Amino acid sequence: MIERTNLNPQHKEFILTLEGVNKTFDGFKAISALNFYMDTGELRTIIGPNGAGKSTMMDLITGRTQPDSGRIEFGKNTDLTRLNEYQINRLGIGRKFQTPSVYIDHTVFENILLSLPGTRSVWEALFSRVTPAQRDRIQQILTTIRLQDKGEVKAGTLAHGQKQWLEIGMLLAQDAKLLLVDEPAAGMTDEETARTGELLLSLAGQHSIIVIEHDMAFVRQIASKVTVLHQGTVLCEGTVDEVQSNERVIEVYLGRKHEPKKTL
Amino acid sequence: MSIKRLLSKTETISLCIGFFVILVVLPFLNAFFPENHPLHVSAFTLTLLSKYLCYAVLALSVDLLWGYTGLLSLGQCLFFSLGGYALGMYLMLKIGPRGQYHTNLPDFMVFLEFPKRFPETGGLPPHWIPFQHFWFAAAAVVWVPALVALIFGFLAFRSRIKGVYFSILTQALTYAACLMFFRNDFTFGGNNGLTDFKEILGCELNAPSTRRALFIATGLLLLGSYLLCRWLTITRFGKIQRAIRDSENRVLFSGYATANFKLFVFVLAAVIASLGGALFVPQVGIINPSEMGTDKSLEAVVWVAVGGRGTLIGPILGAIGVNWLKSYATHSMPEYWNYILGGLFIVMTVFFPKGIVGIPGQVRALHQRWAATHETEPAIETGMVAPVIVANPEEKP
Amino acid sequence: MMITDGFGFLKRLTAVFGRQFCLWLAMSCMVPNAQGAEPRALLVEAMTTNDLSAQIALIQKLTDSPDPLIAQALAAWRQGGVYLYDAGDNLKVPFLLDANADASGKSRGIQIATGESIKDAAGQPLLFLPSDLTAVDTTSKLRKAIKTTLDVLALSSPNSNFRRDAASKLGQAQNAEYLPHFEARLASEKIPDVRKALEEAIAITQLASDKPEVRLAAVKKLGELRSIPALDLIIKLEAAAKADEKAYPSGMAAAAAGARKIIEQHIAFGTFIGTCFRGLSLSAVLLVAAIGLAITFGLMGIINMAHGEMIMIGAYSAYIAQNIFVKWFGEGTSGFNWYFVAALPLSFITAGLVGVLLERGIIRFLYKRPLESLLATWGVSLVLQQAMRAIFGAANVQVYSPSWLSGNITYADVTFAYNRIFVIGFAVAIVVFTWLLLTKTSLGLQVRALMQNRQMAACMGVRTDRVNMATFAFGSGLAGMAGACLSQIGNIGPSLGQSHIVDCFMVVVLGGVGNLFGTVSAALGIGVTDQVLQPHFGAVLGKIIVLSAIILFLQWRPAGLFATRGRGLEG
Repeated sequence: MIERTNLNPQHKEFILTLEGVNKTFDGFKAISALNFYMDTGELRTIIGPNGAGKSTMMDLITGRTQPDSGRIEFGKNTDLTRLNEYQINRLGIGRKFQTPSVYIDHTVFENILLSLPGTRSVWEALFSRVTPAQRDRIQQILTTIRLQDKGEVKAGTLAHGQKQWLEIGMLLAQDAKLLLVDEPAAGMTDEETARTGELLLSLAGQHSIIVIEHDMAFVRQIASKVTVLHQGTVLCEGTVDEVQSNERVIEVYLGRKHEPKKTL
Repeated sequence: MSIKRLLSKTETISLCIGFFVILVVLPFLNAFFPENHPLHVSAFTLTLLSKYLCYAVLALSVDLLWGYTGLLSLGQCLFFSLGGYALGMYLMLKIGPRGQYHTNLPDFMVFLEFPKRFPETGGLPPHWIPFQHFWFAAAAVVWVPALVALIFGFLAFRSRIKGVYFSILTQALTYAACLMFFRNDFTFGGNNGLTDFKEILGCELNAPSTRRALFIATGLLLLGSYLLCRWLTITRFGKIQRAIRDSENRVLFSGYATANFKLFVFVLAAVIASLGGALFVPQVGIINPSEMGTDKSLEAVVWVAVGGRGTLIGPILGAIGVNWLKSYATHSMPEYWNYILGGLFIVMTVFFPKGIVGIPGQVRALHQRWAATHETEPAIETGMVAPVIVANPEEKP
Repeated sequence: MMITDGFGFLKRLTAVFGRQFCLWLAMSCMVPNAQGAEPRALLVEAMTTNDLSAQIALIQKLTDSPDPLIAQALAAWRQGGVYLYDAGDNLKVPFLLDANADASGKSRGIQIATGESIKDAAGQPLLFLPSDLTAVDTTSKLRKAIKTTLDVLALSSPNSNFRRDAASKLGQAQNAEYLPHFEARLASEKIPDVRKALEEAIAITQLASDKPEVRLAAVKKLGELRSIPALDLIIKLEAAAKADEKAYPSGMAAAAAGARKIIEQHIAFGTFIGTCFRGLSLSAVLLVAAIGLAITFGLMGIINMAHGEMIMIGAYSAYIAQNIFVKWFGEGTSGFNWYFVAALPLSFITAGLVGVLLERGIIRFLYKRPLESLLATWGVSLVLQQAMRAIFGAANVQVYSPSWLSGNITYADVTFAYNRIFVIGFAVAIVVFTWLLLTKTSLGLQVRALMQNRQMAACMGVRTDRVNMATFAFGSGLAGMAGACLSQIGNIGPSLGQSHIVDCFMVVVLGGVGNLFGTVSAALGIGVTDQVLQPHFGAVLGKIIVLSAIILFLQWRPAGLFATRGRGLEG
C-alpha cells in the first residue's frame, strides 16, 4: 500500500492516526481495515463515491460513533475511541458538518462568541461577561470570513454560502488544531468556492485540515494531498494528478457511471 | 446586572403596571372597600386570580424547558404537585385536633389505621415528622423536586434521550408517580390527597388578611420567576440553552457538555414549578394525585402554546387566559370545555405555532408576502403559510 | 337510530337469559311428576308462614323436586322477588313477576301455586310495577337455606358448569346429608370435569366422617385428585394427626402429608402455567393495542396521542355492530353470535377513515414538527373523547361476547378463558399480517422506502402523500381492530383510550422504533414481567416497577431493544 511506503509511522509525528479501524452498521461494513495517517499542519482532501465511508470516518474521529475495532489517536497517545464528542472537541478537533449547522436564532456575533475557547462549564456560562479582547477576536474572525458587516444579523437569515463560512468561522474561533471540513463548497457559487479555497489555504500550516469534497476543481485549487476512500478503505493516496490517473480510481468512478466532467 | 440590560423599556413599563395592579391595587381594593362596594374585589376573586398566577409560574417552567431548550417535558405537573404535597404535609400537621376525629393525627391516617402501622410514632409515618416545622417543609419544596429532577434528568440526558422520547418518558414518569400517590399505603392520603387545611404559620387560612398575603406572595413569586428567567436568557447560559434547542449537535461539537446544561435547566424548572405548587395548595385548599395526571401536564403545555413559547410574557398570558376561559366554560357550558381545549391544541399548533404573542409577527410576514406576490389569494396563503413556519430544521451529520 | 338505549338493551338481554333459564328448568322436568303440585304447596306454605324454623324445614324438603317453577321461585325469593297478592278472605297468594315487562315497566304476576298469572275479576291478567310491591321477607339464615336447596337442585342442572360449581360448593359444607345426592349424580354423570368435582365433594365430605378408615381413604383420594379446595382441610388434619397420634389411625399423618405435597406441587405448576398464560394474554393485549402505534410512530415518526382514541372508536364500532345484529337477529340468536365477525372489519374501516381525516386535516402539516404533532393529536383525543361522551354517554357501555367467545376451558385447575385465547391468536395473526404487508407488498416497500429516505423516495416517484395517508389509515385501522378485540375482555367507555396510551408508547419505545420484531418482544417482556411481579407487589406497584424498569433499561439501550442503527436514521 502506498501509505506504508511513503509514511513510516516511526519517523513522522502524526497529528492523527487511524489504524485497522472497522465499523459495521447492521451488517453493512461502512469502514473496513482503514489506515490513515496525517501530518501536523497538513491540508488533506478526502474524496470517494457515495457510501465510501467519508462521513462515517468523520463520525469516528469526532466521537459520534465508536469503532468496532482499531486504533484512533490524536497526536501522541491520545486515544479518541474512549472519549465523547465534547471531550474530543476540547482536545482541539473542530468539525464542520455537511449541511451548515449554525444557531439560526442567534446573531452571527453570538454564533462566534459561543465558539470561542474558554471553560465550558454551566457556572461559567451563567456569570461570564464578554471581554473587550473577545470582541476584538470575534471582529477579526468575522473579517476573515467576510461577515464583518453581518455581526448583528440573525444567522438563520444568511445565504447558504454565508452560513458555510460562518460555520468555518466558528471552527476558527475554537482555535482547533485539527479541522474536519465536510463539503465546504457545496451549494456555493464559483466565486464563493474560490474564496473558500483561499480561506482554507491560508489556514493550512497553523492548523491541520481534512477536507471532504466532491468538486475536483476545488480540490485542484487547494492542491493538497488527496486520499481516495472506497468501500470503507483507502483506495489510493497522492497528488490530484496522480489520483486522477490512477486506474482503480477511474474504474471506481467511471465504472459506476459517475459524472465524468470533473474527474477527468 | 443593571435593570437596563435586563429588561427592555416596554417590558419594564408593562411589568411595572402589571405587578403594581397585582401587588398593590387588587389587595388594596380587597382590604379597604366594603363588600358591597362596586370597587370591592372579593376574596374569592383574589384566590381565583392567585390560582391563575400559580399556573402562570408553572407555565413559565414549561416554557423554560420547551420554548428555550427544546425539551417538551410532560412531567412539570409532577414537580408542581411535589411542591404542593411538601407544603401540604406541613399544613396537614397544623390542623391538629380540629379534624373530624379530633386527634393530632391527620384524618386519613386515623381512617387508614396508621397507628397500627407505625405504633412507635403514634401513627405518624417517620418521614412526616420533620414536616411539623415550616422551614423543613419549605426546604423540601425545593430539594425534593430538585432531587427527583436531578436523578431522572441525569439518567435521561446521559443516555441522550431527547425529542419525543423525552416527552414520552417524562409522561411515563408522571404516570408512575401518579399511580404511586393514588395508593393509600404510600402515606400521602391516597386518592383524597391532602385537604381540610386550617392554618399556615399560625394564621387562619380563611382569614382575609391571610388570603391577601398569599396573593401578594404569589405575585412576588411570579415576578421573581419572570426576572430569573429573563436574566437567564441574556447570560451566555441562555444563549447556549437556545443553541441546544436549535442545533444540539453543533453545541456538542463546540465542546459543551450539553447534558449538564439540560440537567441544570431541568432541575431549575422543576424547582420553579414546585414553588408554584407550594403556593397553590394553601389557597386552593387541596392537593391530590389527579393534579399530577398526564392530562394536567399537557394542559400546562397548551397554556404555553397559546401564549407563545420562547417568550416569557406568552406563558403568563396563556396560563391566565386559558384558565379564565376554563373557569368560564366549565361553569356555563361544561360539556363544551373539552372541545374548546382540544380545539385550542389543534389550532394553535397547526396555525399559530408562535402563539398569541407571535400573531402580529405572523400577520406582518403574511402581509409582506402578500405585498410581494400581489396576485396570490390571501385566503390560500393563510392555510399554507402558517404550518410552514418551522424553527427547527433537522441537522444532518 | 340504530344505537339502542343501553339500559333498555340490558333489560332485554336479561330477559333473554331469563327465558333460557326457564328453558333448562323445563328440560330438567322431562319426566312427568305426579307429585308436582305437592312441592309447590310446600313452598307456598313456606312463603306464607312466619315461623323461621318451619320455613327452613319446608325448604329443605324441596331438594329433589324437578319442578322448574320451584327453582325459579326460590331464586326469586332469595333476591326479594316474591310478593304476596291479597286475594281477599285473608288469603295471601305468593307470586313472582314475569321477566317480560311492558314499556311502563309493569309485568304480570305468576302464581307460585299454579304457575298461572293472576287475573282480575274480568279474567284479565293484572299488571304490577316492582316498585309498588313489598317483597316477602327473608332473613340471612333463610337465604342460606334457599341457596343450599338451589345448589342441590343445581346438581342436576343441564349446564355442566352449574353442576360442577354446585358440587364444589356443597362439598365444602362437609355435610353428610348431601352424600346420597352426590353419589346418585356421580352414577349417571359423564362429563369428567363434573365427575371430578363430585368425587372431590364426596371425599371432602368424608373427611369429616367419624369412621377413621373412611377419612384415611378420603385423604388419599383427595391427594390423587390433586384437590386444591381440600388443601386447607388436609393441612389442618395433618397438624392435628401429628399433635395427637393416638386419636388418629396409624398412617393418617403420613397420608395427609403425602396428599398435601402432591396438591402443593400441583398448585405450583398451576401458578406457573397461569402466570405464563396471563402474561401472554396481557402481552397480546399490549401488542394488539400497540401495533398500530408501531406503524404510525415507528414507521412514520408521528406521535399520535389520539391513538388510544382510535382504539376507543374501534371498540364503539363493535358496540354498534352488536346493536345492529341485535336489531336484525334478536338477542342470543345464532345470528347475533356472528356480530363480532362483522365488528372486526367495521372497526378497522371506521378507525381507518378517522385516521385518514386526521392525517389529511392535521398531521400532514406537522411531519417536520414531531413535538407539535404530539400536542395537536392530544387535542384531537380530547375532542374525540368528548364526542363519544356526547353520543354514547359518559358511562361504560356493555358489549356481550358471542357465545363462541364466552366460556373457558380448565387445565391443571387453571382457567383459560376463550376470549383471552382469542386475543392471543388475534395478536399472532395481526403481526403476521402486518409483517407480510410490509415485506411482500408494494405498499410495504414504499412505506419502508419512505421511512429510510423521504426525499429520495419522493424523487423516485413514490407518491409520498398517498403512502403517508395509507400508512396512517392502516395504523389507525389496526388500532380500531384492537378496540374491537378489547371490547371482548373489558369495559368500553370514553376513557378507554387513555388507559392504554402510556402502555402503548412504552411498548413501542422499548421495542425500538420501526421494528416489528422489537415491538413483539417488548410487548412480551412487559406483559410477562408485569404478571410475574403482580402476585408479589400488587397490580399498581407492579406497573410502577415495570415503568421504572423501562426508564432504566433505556439507559442501557437508549434506542430500545432492537434499534435500527442504519445510517439513514442517525442524528
